[in-house]
Amino acid sequence: MMALPYITEHTGFTGTVYATEPTLQIGRLLMEELVNFMERVPKSQSATCWKNKEIQRLLPCPLKDAVEVWTWKRSYSMQEVNSALSKVQLVGYSQKVELFGAVQISPLSSGYSLGSSNWIIQSHHEKVSYVSGSSLLTTHPQPMDQSSLKNSDVLILTGLTQMPTANPDGMLGEFCNNLAMTIRAGGNVLVPCYSSGVIYDLLECLYQFIDSANLGTTPFYFISPVANSSLEFSQIFAEWLCHNKQSKVYLPEPPFPHAELIQTNKLKHYPSIHGDFSSEFRQPCVVFTGHPSLRFGDVVHFMELWGKSSINTIIFTEPDFSYLDALAPYQPLAMKCVYCPIDTRLNFHQVAKLLKEVQPLHVVCPEQYTQPPPSQSHRSDLMLELQPPPVPYRRCSVLNLPFRRRYERVYILPELANSLVPSEIKPGISVATVSAVLHSKDNKHTLQSVPKPPPVPPSKKRKRVMEEPPVVQAPKPLLSGAVPLEAFLATLQKHGITEVKVEETVDGHILHLQADDTLIQLEEDGTHIVCDNNEPLRTTLRDLVLRFLQKL
Amino acid sequence: MGSRKVVRPELFPARWTCRGNRGIQKNIWGCKGVIRHSPDIMPVCEVLLDSGSSLPDDTSLEKLLDWFSGLIEPGEGGALLEAHPCLLEFISAVVHKPSSDPSVISFVLKVCGLVAAAEDAFKMLQAHSILDLAFNHQHWHRAGLWEDPCVRIGWIQGLRKMLQHLEALRFFVQADLIPELLQLQTDSSLFVVSAANQLLAHILLFFQPAFPTRRNGVHMEHDDMMSHARITETDLPEVHTETSKCYAAVVVTILEYINESLVTKDNSQLRQSRQILKVLVPLLAQAGPFLRDKLLQSVTDSLEELVTAGYSQLTLPLMDVILAAHSSLSPDDPDQRMGRLLSSMLNVNKPSDLIHAAAAVLHRGHQDTVHTARAVRILLLPLDIITGHTLLGTNTADEEHQCSMAEQLKSKTSCISLICVCLTNAPHVTLMPADILPCPPCSIVAAVVSLLSICSGCVSSSSSGHAEVFRNVIGSSKVQKCALEAVTRLSSSPGVKDELTEVFTVLIRYLSNPDSDRTIIHKSYQALVKWTIVCKDLSSIKDQLRQDLTDVVKKRVCDMRWEVRDSTVEFLGQLAGVLKSPEMERDTSEALLDSCCCLTLLREALRDPESYVRASAIAALGQTLAHSWQQGAALTQEQTDVVNQLLEILSQDTEGFARRAVMQYFLAWFSSCASHTSPPSSSRSSLLMSSLSSVLSLGTADLDWEVKVHSLELAELLLDKAFSGCPDYRKPSERPCASLHPYAVVSDQTYAVHRHTPGVECDLSDVLNNLVKQGVVSALLSGLVDCDRPVGLKACQLLISLRETVGPPSKDEVNATPTTAAVAKVTCEVPSCGWGKEIRRILGMKTCDEDEEADLTADECGDMRKQGKGEGGRSVSVSVCEMLRSLGLDARLDILSQSSDHVHNSPLSLLQDIVMSSATHTQTNTQPGQEVIVDCY
Repeated sequence: MMALPYITEHTGFTGTVYATEPTLQIGRLLMEELVNFMERVPKSQSATCWKNKEIQRLLPCPLKDAVEVWTWKRSYSMQEVNSALSKVQLVGYSQKVELFGAVQISPLSSGYSLGSSNWIIQSHHEKVSYVSGSSLLTTHPQPMDQSSLKNSDVLILTGLTQMPTANPDGMLGEFCNNLAMTIRAGGNVLVPCYSSGVIYDLLECLYQFIDSANLGTTPFYFISPVANSSLEFSQIFAEWLCHNKQSKVYLPEPPFPHAELIQTNKLKHYPSIHGDFSSEFRQPCVVFTGHPSLRFGDVVHFMELWGKSSINTIIFTEPDFSYLDALAPYQPLAMKCVYCPIDTRLNFHQVAKLLKEVQPLHVVCPEQYTQPPPSQSHRSDLMLELQPPPVPYRRCSVLNLPFRRRYERVYILPELANSLVPSEIKPGISVATVSAVLHSKDNKHTLQSVPKPPPVPPSKKRKRVMEEPPVVQAPKPLLSGAVPLEAFLATLQKHGITEVKVEETVDGHILHLQADDTLIQLEEDGTHIVCDNNEPLRTTLRDLVLRFLQKL
Repeated sequence: MGSRKVVRPELFPARWTCRGNRGIQKNIWGCKGVIRHSPDIMPVCEVLLDSGSSLPDDTSLEKLLDWFSGLIEPGEGGALLEAHPCLLEFISAVVHKPSSDPSVISFVLKVCGLVAAAEDAFKMLQAHSILDLAFNHQHWHRAGLWEDPCVRIGWIQGLRKMLQHLEALRFFVQADLIPELLQLQTDSSLFVVSAANQLLAHILLFFQPAFPTRRNGVHMEHDDMMSHARITETDLPEVHTETSKCYAAVVVTILEYINESLVTKDNSQLRQSRQILKVLVPLLAQAGPFLRDKLLQSVTDSLEELVTAGYSQLTLPLMDVILAAHSSLSPDDPDQRMGRLLSSMLNVNKPSDLIHAAAAVLHRGHQDTVHTARAVRILLLPLDIITGHTLLGTNTADEEHQCSMAEQLKSKTSCISLICVCLTNAPHVTLMPADILPCPPCSIVAAVVSLLSICSGCVSSSSSGHAEVFRNVIGSSKVQKCALEAVTRLSSSPGVKDELTEVFTVLIRYLSNPDSDRTIIHKSYQALVKWTIVCKDLSSIKDQLRQDLTDVVKKRVCDMRWEVRDSTVEFLGQLAGVLKSPEMERDTSEALLDSCCCLTLLREALRDPESYVRASAIAALGQTLAHSWQQGAALTQEQTDVVNQLLEILSQDTEGFARRAVMQYFLAWFSSCASHTSPPSSSRSSLLMSSLSSVLSLGTADLDWEVKVHSLELAELLLDKAFSGCPDYRKPSERPCASLHPYAVVSDQTYAVHRHTPGVECDLSDVLNNLVKQGVVSALLSGLVDCDRPVGLKACQLLISLRETVGPPSKDEVNATPTTAAVAKVTCEVPSCGWGKEIRRILGMKTCDEDEEADLTADECGDMRKQGKGEGGRSVSVSVCEMLRSLGLDARLDILSQSSDHVHNSPLSLLQDIVMSSATHTQTNTQPGQEVIVDCY
């Protein structure tokens, strides 16, 4: 989502973007926050010389190892954000959207965050599921819709947890333990985080933990330009929340307990460190603020303020950034650092269970999922092991999905359908021939009645004859059924053909009419009469064969 | 739950309804051999005969049977019939009246067997033709009652009770009961099958010819009875020829049956085979040479067949039988078939069967070196494969099993099961003699530690273990728990101390792992404590490791889960206890954790919102400070603060656990100071003594009865200390009449003070005065009238001790010495409300303002007492000695010593229940509108 303006505004994109409402609104908040952080510290000029390879290799790590530095872009502006978001068309879970008549797409709850979606892309006969960041844990969003993923021909699996060895429950416990430990020792806790997402769960967890850890008097600060909107938005998206939280709305109570924390003044939120915050700031305290990369935003100030004291702690909860890289510019750092990445997305164990449940015919996934992480080559539990093996892909690779489109749905207009005369060829199966005009538009195919030629006015203009549609001849009847050998031989005999030599073949029989030097090949899907220069005999034989077959 | 008893005089002779005559009741109900005094059972017999189905509950008949069993001395069944002639009539009537309720018939069959266990009674029953009919199953078949399993159970158990003498055996054989008994071995009811199995084993073992004692450590249940019933080998030809024939016939029939039933034709019969195998184990273990040889001759072929068939479900029972047979034979037995069978079982190709067979060899304490060594190798195989530690050397003999085991370990379910069996047995394995072990015990510890690392996902790339198996054990909490238990037990294995650092490292890693669940953390702590106890030298533990442990403990004491916080503070206490125990005196620099840090953490835990954690923290503080109490070290401000915090908890905490812990803390402290030889620092001693008065008053006013009992225990310690120089003083526990009631509260810790050296005279009046001032006497008096029986009992015992020590024989005694006169003048304030009011009532005192006081609520009284107003305003001074004499303590002790349900549980009550239930039933039948009212509590 955060990269959307780069796609819509810089690539000549002219299409439509589909998104759920929380995705749009919270995405807007996050982008707004980013732009705000960036615009607070405008740069008078931008340096590009360092991007020269010769200079770059002289730079310290990690700059010297950065790749494709020339593709790096400046941050977008609010105007670009608005422009990008104007291209978004809102969709709801399970809503079906037609794309050019060729496929239908439909978002499903992925259980990861408010409005996060997996997508079903299906035609009449094929179904592809696209599984992105999903979670089976009981957190605040609506639970993941698994059943709709069943019967997929292909399931494209992405967005698994970045921290397969870090169990979110354990990390949450670790977060609380370290937080309590620091506060008890008189230190402050800094939590660099995004202003939406896991923070809701963190606050909920702390709501329960505060009393049991005797932290009732410790202030919790949430500082972000969009802090207020984020906290309030989360309370109004009731339909996108898990069942428990939805039911609270009808009590009526706010779905998230952070409302109570705010009411009781345990949680206070501010747009920035300036203004009210500076007058109400009290230590020891817990501060949630961005940006989790520690490169910009209010978090930078707190790093400067608290970094020198070993009684303070910084707790990383966002899995998107390496905490060591994030801390690199602040070294040497006295403050304690705790890494508790909380990534609720599916892990390998959960994926294995999910796939067992939904049973797609084929799974397509990034190559990394098919082998253990390079640093932990013995961890055979950190990879996908499926039968049939998943189809791996790499960045920018183009894949042919492992299925072929064999059928297309064609509609018949009612009046045409009315004219059909079905005949039953097997119990329950009837067949009819149809002569019609196939009309194709927007990937929709319709059979329409053949227009009747208008009666030719006897006296008028011969030149128009050329423009008339060709006269459609009645099609030859279609034959079906099988020719029973014994009965056919008896019939031949009745018609005076006695010298018949029968030869059994793989597909049926060959009847050799020795006297007439004629062959009749009786096969499962065809009958051939090979008869040279004896048209009457061929016609007789044809008629005899036709006696045994049904005509449609 | 129970029903309220109303004694109905018309049902029983008058003497049984007299509640006041408890002494007689106790004598009658409490002792055997007084059948003639037991109550009349006629009404009960009548009720059972008439309306067996209206019993108060389904355990009544069981209780009645238990009572009968308790009345009869072995071999004296006739006495019961003599004392209760109606019993014979009752039995006869029920046996002849097949329309009785099946449960009554079952009961009668059991009583019949119980009585007939004595030869004289047996003959009496025979003379009345009761036995023939009672144990004639056809009789019950005809009546359509045999279908009811309780009748079949009654039949079996009746026979089981009766078959205690040769006459009974003869009857059993002549009545041709054995085919039916064998039939019941495959009954549809599991209970019937089990009882029938036991009867079969009983018959074979009980009547077997006597043999020289060689019991293989098996407890013989019926030693006394057997001595006169068993057919001796010399008896066989002469005295008991007929009986020996009976026995031989029984043996032949039973063995034939066993042999036929042992080998299954298909899987559906496995249950039967398993039952027979279960019977064979005690038979082989307890059989004499004659029976054992017969058994082995009979079943060995079948056992071989079963071993070859390789039914997994039969592995364990089959191993039990083979091991029992093998160990019953002498090692130089020429026929080595059992040994070969054992070898076959230890060579099967199914890894799960193989490992269970090996575990059975170890569990049964098998002595054969070759097989034990083989079993050990099998048990270590999964650990060897998974961890890559070469526990088994390079012996190629195991290669085949290694492949099949490795294959099996790839399946998650069987992998966890196999490794758990391996881990459970690993500590036992390390205790084996060195010549049996394929590797030293420390290698096994190293392998278990390595497995623990694998389980937590720490797999080094250099690990030579079986990577395909890792995925099955990584994160498996079952394997982790098993491995932690194994590590804990492995601490006591020989030669494993070198692994201390590795063990500590992995345990600390488990403690700090965010994914460790509460049980795993608890087990890790337990393992750490155990290894700390065992390894006296902790110098090998590096500073970094100590720091890691400190960090993790600091973190876990803040954990979200109260169980983890509880385990952590418990660990801190245990660790302090271990490191400071006298036998493990250590340099403080060796301490794993800094004691200041521990104390701070524990004090913080006193404010924990969970009462269990607070209680554990208090206990841990006690363990941590115990050392300084014993050393008599100077008091620190921190310790004073701790005492204040504890007093605050005692007065304000809403949960009983924490308050109980505080009481135990002071008990331990006082006990420690009083018993230790080194002089306590004066400040410490005065803090303790000044606290005790508050502790006593708060403790006795507590709502929790355990807290109150602990206060009385503290009072007892104060009494012990005060009277340590007094030769007349005897603790309640030393008093001859002091019998501990089964439900009496017993502290899990014994607190005691050192008795003073004799020869030092004590001034009794001063001592008593001090006790009054300390609030000990008030505590005892309030305890005496407490509504909780254990509290009253304890207080009563202590008051009696006090009376015996200080009280003169009588106040009118003319020869009172100056000492006794001074003692008699010591008074105690008895308040006018609360416990004081009750004491005054007992003493027969009436004050002018009593009516007024009646209006005071209990809460108001409590408040006044706490503020010291109540006593000051309206309390009266009463002579302590006078009070001790007038409180009727002996009678009170008598009452309090009986359990609160002694009436409810008496046989008289049982009989009344049965009779009254029938009466109510009849009434209910006649008056359908009336309901039975039962008090449930």
